[in-house]
Amino acid sequence: MSLAAEAFVSQLAAAEPWPENATLYQPLKEDQILLSDHASSLAVQAYLRMCGLPVQVLCRVNSEFMSPSGKIPFIHVGNQVVSELGPIVQFTKAKGHSLSDGLDDVQRAEMKAYMELVNNMLLTAELYIQWCDDATAAEISRPRYSSPYSWPLSKILAYQKQWEVRRKMNAIGWGGKTLQQVYEDVSQCCQALSQRLGMQPYFFNKQPTELDALVFGHLFTILTTRLTSSELAERVKSYSNLLSFCRRIEQTYFEDKSS
Amino acid sequence: CGLSLDPLPMQGPELGIQADDIEAPEVEQEPKQEVLENKNVVVQRVHIDGLGRTKEDLLTYEIAEVFRANNLIDVMRKSHEARQKLLRLGIFRKVEVNIDTSRGEDALPNGLDVTFEVTELRRMTGSYNTMVGNNEGSMVLGLRLPNVFGRAEKLTFQFSYGTKETSYGLSFFKPQPGHFERNVSFNMYKVTGQFPWSSLRETDRGVSAELSFPMWKTNQTLKWEGVWRELGCLGQNASFAIRNESGHSLKSSLSHAMVVDTRNSSILPRKGGLLKIHQELAGYTGGDARFLKEDFEIQLNKTLYWDSVLSASLWGGLLLPFGDAPTCIADRFYLGGPTSIRGFSMYSMGPQSDGDYLGGEAYWAGGLHLYTPLPFRPGRGGFGDLFRTHFFLNAGNLCNLHYGEGPQAHLKKLAECIRWSYGLGIVLRLGNIARLELNYCIPMGVQSGDRICDGIQFGAGIRFL
Repeated sequence: MSLAAEAFVSQLAAAEPWPENATLYQPLKEDQILLSDHASSLAVQAYLRMCGLPVQVLCRVNSEFMSPSGKIPFIHVGNQVVSELGPIVQFTKAKGHSLSDGLDDVQRAEMKAYMELVNNMLLTAELYIQWCDDATAAEISRPRYSSPYSWPLSKILAYQKQWEVRRKMNAIGWGGKTLQQVYEDVSQCCQALSQRLGMQPYFFNKQPTELDALVFGHLFTILTTRLTSSELAERVKSYSNLLSFCRRIEQTYFEDKSS
Repeated sequence: CGLSLDPLPMQGPELGIQADDIEAPEVEQEPKQEVLENKNVVVQRVHIDGLGRTKEDLLTYEIAEVFRANNLIDVMRKSHEARQKLLRLGIFRKVEVNIDTSRGEDALPNGLDVTFEVTELRRMTGSYNTMVGNNEGSMVLGLRLPNVFGRAEKLTFQFSYGTKETSYGLSFFKPQPGHFERNVSFNMYKVTGQFPWSSLRETDRGVSAELSFPMWKTNQTLKWEGVWRELGCLGQNASFAIRNESGHSLKSSLSHAMVVDTRNSSILPRKGGLLKIHQELAGYTGGDARFLKEDFEIQLNKTLYWDSVLSASLWGGLLLPFGDAPTCIADRFYLGGPTSIRGFSMYSMGPQSDGDYLGGEAYWAGGLHLYTPLPFRPGRGGFGDLFRTHFFLNAGNLCNLHYGEGPQAHLKKLAECIRWSYGLGIVLRLGNIARLELNYCIPMGVQSGDRICDGIQFGAGIRFL
């Protein structure tokens, strides 16, 4: 869409209040969804709960293809369809709900930087482990990704997705990394986050922001997802303040559902 | 051998067998004047000259009848029929018949030799077209290998490369020697389509195997098809109902079709009728889609006084899904447009969401036409004969069915809210292949959500209601 059209649409969006029937779409929870998608979806759910905006989670086999950008999750609010955390944050801001209003410019820049860190490090590491590690790809990722489809379409789609992710990894320079190097990167990222968090309840002291939602989404998913090896979870567990951070957010915002 | 871009059209001489001339038989002048027509003759030899890669055993069936002729008129007629049979194989560019008296040691006094002089088609023919469509251009390359292994097998490859989409198809056709109407064909294809009336884009990659054979007066076709379908939204403004249909699915189906066609022509017939029944069962040979689909087409034509023709047609179809999954938009029926219910926009009738038409699971459509020659018959005997005026009445309905209500409720649903239209127009016949129409239409019974095209509407196609 052109800039003018986008501005017009967000004006329209701003005019309407948040409806009761907003829905969030993600792949099937039990059989299909993968680590990286679940992390992104949980981040958005946490953010919306922190804003106090009700949203119903619907699981659809084809949610990846329904999404306008091809990425999970996306929300359907009124007539609008918005995908990924960044645009969703903008969308809710246009409707008057924001978690980062109380921050000054320096803090906001810092928040953006840390969110970039999580996206570039944690999310990429999750994708690497899922699709570039042969053991995980063969045992977990490909079977789960292809579970809703019948043969031979299941094989075709699973391999197509794997090639696509591997090509992307090569393009950003992760193709040559080994699994140990990726685990090291994850540790470093967690260390940076742990240092920033310190003893505070949230990253920017008293109030949660979208950064908290994003970090929670990824770390909680890593801690609770079974992979071929538990090393990834162990690396995260070694930072106790991150563990208590996750537990705190889970208890505050997710206590009514057993996620 | 190189690829020769031959100006020959993709369809070979088997299309539209028109009346043609037969070579005058050469008969030696007898010194005595004999009434040749009543003379009994025996066909002693039938040759085929000019064969290259064609295997002879294929052709013996086609020419066998000539041996049974026992007088000269019969020989001429059977030779003509054999020539038609040889041409319809699609492997010869030209077939000429030569009837001569027998020569040689065992020649009978009333013996005849019939020789078919054939020119085989080239091993590979090609065609190249450019097409310009809605904001896109494409280049279409066709390659055809007629008579690949010598028994009238045909291999065709078509490739279309466009600014928006690319599609291709490979097809192998093999008739049974001696029974050309019994044939089998294998196809592989990738086809993309854009459907702006539904804001839908569809890419199909499939393989199919098809067996065709005649049975009494009918032509039967059995087919297995496996298709990987990928659906997506066309543009960002697609409705959520269409967005919901995006994604991949696999259809593996068995289908059967029966056709009885007694019309004298498929475009603007003057007499005869057509009955076509088609059913498709998906899901029992694998795949995600599970349904039973039935559709039929009936057409009856009768010539009336003053060279006018009355034509009535009826179409209908039903899609029954198995299990709980809803039907896929790629399997549903669409209705409306210049080739079905005139006066309505292309496929813009029935269930819709935000202006995107979703198709329906059941439909019926009927048409009544009166074709007359152009008033005052301009250009009679020539160009004017290609045009006809027609008066038409079209009606139909398209809806979804909610199963569990029983057949009475379904029939009632189809009978409610009938859309219909009437009008008149001019029809132009393009050879034996297609037809153009320019009509003035008045749509009636329009339901909310339908998009109409009242007034002048233009249509081009092969199959019209």
